[in-house]
Amino acid sequence: MTQATSKKSADDLQSNTFVGSVKLLGAWWAPALWLSGMGVFASSRAGSTPGRDTFFNINQPWIVYVFMAALVGLLTYGFVRHASLWMIGRPTDGVFRNFRNRLQNVGRFGLGQDKVRRDRYAGIMHWCISSSIIVLTIVTAQVAIQDDTPLDFLHGPYYLFFSFYGDLFGLIGLIGVGMSLYRRYFVSHHRIRWDERLEDHLIIVGLGLILVSGFVVEAARIIETELVSHPDWARWSFVSWGLAHLINSFGFTTGSIDNPESQILNLHKWSWWIHVIFAFSWLGMIVFTKLDHLIFAPVNAFFLRTDSPGRLSEIKDIEEQEVFGVGYIQDFTWKQLFELDACVRCGRCTEVCPANIAGQPLSPMHLIQDLKGHLAEVGPSIQEHGHLTGDAGRDVSPIAMIGDVIKDESLWACRTCGACVQECPVLIEHVPTIVDMRRFLVMNEARLPANAQQALENIEMRGHPWKGTALERTTWMDGLGDVPLFDGSQEYLYWVGCSGSLVERNLPITKSVFKLLREAGTSFGVLGQEETCNGDPARRLGNEYLFQILAQQLIETFKAKGVQRVITNCPHCFNTFKNEYPQFDGKFEVLHHTEFLAKALSDGDLKPKYAVTADITYHDSCYLGRMNGTYDAPRQIIELVPGANLVEMQRNMSKGLCCGAGGGNMWQEEIGERRVNHVRTEEAVSTGASQVISNCPFCIQMFEDGVPSIQPEEEGRIKPFDVAELLETAVFGPASTEISDPEE
Amino acid sequence: MHLVVCAKQIPDPDTPPSAFKIDEASNSVIPAPGISPILSQFDGIAAEAALRIKEAGGDDAKVTVISMGADSARAAIKQVLAMGADEGVLLNDDAFEDGDSYTTAKVLASAIRELGDVDAVFCGRQAADWDMGQVGLLLAEELGWASAIIAKDISYADGNVSVQRVLTDGFETVQMALPAVMTVSNEFGEPRYPKLPQIMAAAKKTVTQYSAAELGLDAADVGASGSRLKIEKLFIPETDSNVEFMGGDTPQEQAAALVQRLQADKLI
Repeated sequence: MTQATSKKSADDLQSNTFVGSVKLLGAWWAPALWLSGMGVFASSRAGSTPGRDTFFNINQPWIVYVFMAALVGLLTYGFVRHASLWMIGRPTDGVFRNFRNRLQNVGRFGLGQDKVRRDRYAGIMHWCISSSIIVLTIVTAQVAIQDDTPLDFLHGPYYLFFSFYGDLFGLIGLIGVGMSLYRRYFVSHHRIRWDERLEDHLIIVGLGLILVSGFVVEAARIIETELVSHPDWARWSFVSWGLAHLINSFGFTTGSIDNPESQILNLHKWSWWIHVIFAFSWLGMIVFTKLDHLIFAPVNAFFLRTDSPGRLSEIKDIEEQEVFGVGYIQDFTWKQLFELDACVRCGRCTEVCPANIAGQPLSPMHLIQDLKGHLAEVGPSIQEHGHLTGDAGRDVSPIAMIGDVIKDESLWACRTCGACVQECPVLIEHVPTIVDMRRFLVMNEARLPANAQQALENIEMRGHPWKGTALERTTWMDGLGDVPLFDGSQEYLYWVGCSGSLVERNLPITKSVFKLLREAGTSFGVLGQEETCNGDPARRLGNEYLFQILAQQLIETFKAKGVQRVITNCPHCFNTFKNEYPQFDGKFEVLHHTEFLAKALSDGDLKPKYAVTADITYHDSCYLGRMNGTYDAPRQIIELVPGANLVEMQRNMSKGLCCGAGGGNMWQEEIGERRVNHVRTEEAVSTGASQVISNCPFCIQMFEDGVPSIQPEEEGRIKPFDVAELLETAVFGPASTEISDPEE
Repeated sequence: MHLVVCAKQIPDPDTPPSAFKIDEASNSVIPAPGISPILSQFDGIAAEAALRIKEAGGDDAKVTVISMGADSARAAIKQVLAMGADEGVLLNDDAFEDGDSYTTAKVLASAIRELGDVDAVFCGRQAADWDMGQVGLLLAEELGWASAIIAKDISYADGNVSVQRVLTDGFETVQMALPAVMTVSNEFGEPRYPKLPQIMAAAKKTVTQYSAAELGLDAADVGASGSRLKIEKLFIPETDSNVEFMGGDTPQEQAAALVQRLQADKLI
């Protein structure tokens, strides 16, 4: 087993363990849990003197309970309204399977805010605000319990402590609000303003006012009840105590038996009502604004897939279907509709989207928001017409979801690189949603870019996407001596792939892997002419039907030949075999060549003897990295090459930028300001490294194509290589390889 | 209106040159291993042309695809059915094998007569394997219909077709009364990508099969025995290229050396 070499990243959705979740809970929610515990403890030992009249100076406190009832009513209404729209979607498979993992995800991503913290500033800000809201809700709840139940605990030492942490989290909340205001109003072009709405201002300014008015209420009460008579109590409410001194310095009149309408008492009364009305209104906004993420984000964490993000859903019984993919809003699953509501328009997805970075027509955030708007617009009339199937009568709206609401070119610009999914703090899965719409375009409408169509036709007719290749699947074997064909007697099948055998640039990589496997004494064989496309580009371009045919054929071939373990050249083949073939009962042990080679190195089967003295930067391919969590194996190999000095790019590992070829974009014309591979090449060049090493034939081709544009001068160009090519040089010496001139 | 598309299944012309082999003894092409036969791409365009006329012509228009070939040619027929053709006909008989353009046209014409009510026939400008470009014209001759070849645009109105033809030095528009035969060129545009519901429907459609006898053809008149064309020799031409670098220290000297060399070879 080579598990050791495929160490999962902390970001990998699969890697959470119960212990991990508990740790995260401890780190992020210790204060709230701890304080609640203290409350229970203190309430059992109450009896000392400090304390206060819960509704001091307020004449109609019962109105609060009217507000409360109204809020509950409003929240119920909102939930029913939302839920009835989600329910127009199709059933969602298996959302309650792997229940334990799902609970862990709620802990890790919902309560633990694990994704929110991927932006450090936002992580701190969000924690300040959310922990303050939670703790202050607990504080308020305790006041209600003290007032309305026989429990009597808000006095004595606990009252003092209660005063302290209430103020502490009020202050923390204000810090969070301050950070938020700064970001919203003083940082130019911040992503949170890419789709800014009135509610964004109301939410943050409203929260600030609630916190400030809360402190004013407390300060006024302290002036009246504690500042003179119990200054030692007052000090525990340290923020309000300071504020009380400040207010007092203006010399306002305070209340007494002869002066019940004093300025301070009036201040107290007015700020109390403002505080209460603002607080309830603010909570009421949950129904109408993005504040609903308070509820939807943790719930969406529960619905998050527990299998690999590299796996797209299968259309079951595809030959029985009438409509393919998602062309109308009601064709989405209810989970896909639900997650639209969780979006808070933070812009993280769009910020990392390679298409967006290159100025191409895709913004995952706007896509989600546009779908959400479309759901709100046509959802009610779909509800009225009932759940429609078949083409007749589905079009209840004159607006086409694909074409009018979501532009075709946005769907085609997606690289399925998963960066948006990786970053989304509320766990929206954009990529499956985009591919579902592509499926409709390709299978139902046959509406797709000409080059993508050619790639698909080529796969259909020729079993590979490389139209016009002059190479055969066996050309790479020239000069390698005896290349064993897999016959079931060998341990591994070395899967070369279409790109590894039919694209000139990739032949040296295939040769390198082959030589290294042979050197390591591996028992392996290849399929040669019998290889055919495994369907990855078809699936990602939206032709699920073609994918299923190819997958089923290949699984049969594998089974007939007795294949059990596969080493792949390409991370796309790797991902498809590993994550998608099990959907069709094709379960094989699959390794990417970097995983296998890293293991062979650590086992001593390969010995890097020759130095490659160079600064090297490493590019994580999306399907080895983000989709499968293999970040370390290729880096281990580079680090074991004598003389090689690894220099990371700014965007690396789970934050790595796509080369631009994913999602079938290898075969499409790019529309937009720039090309993604130029952006990524620029990033590689800016490290100052002389080589950019990757693990994927597509990435290598994209770099080969991008380098001459970024570095017009041939002198000093960065050279793209595969990890295997680097290792081949280190093991066999520079003379043995075509590494110096891949054009040959 | 009844439109017919003639479709041929051919060895993939996109085969890598190194995999293309011929048997010189029997003057035949050896199928490349692992490379499946495909629908000749010009015939896909012919199908596209017929389908566009059908779509413009209203609901009563019908497209039938005819292929002469082995049983494997059903795949080519299904492909055109998936694009939207209504019926498929396979002309399959050992007697049809190894024919030339003439016998092919003869067999296709018999099938078209058998169908009876055909208004127009669409062929690719040439089959992409032998690139003869004869069948369309010969078919029109056999049927006694008007014809226009190498079309880049076709429109239909009131029993007439207007065909824009590609010439070596421009375009020419001709009008014909139906029935007529047209061959369609790549300038017409890309054939459509089949929609999956149509692929599913095509898979369920039955393909009618005719033998020589069923078409009332004498086996001696078709296939190899009826052919007027005999292949004398089939071979892959030898291509050779040599690179010679011209000596000389300066560009002027090199240019002079080049001129001398070219003159010596009587090339200039």
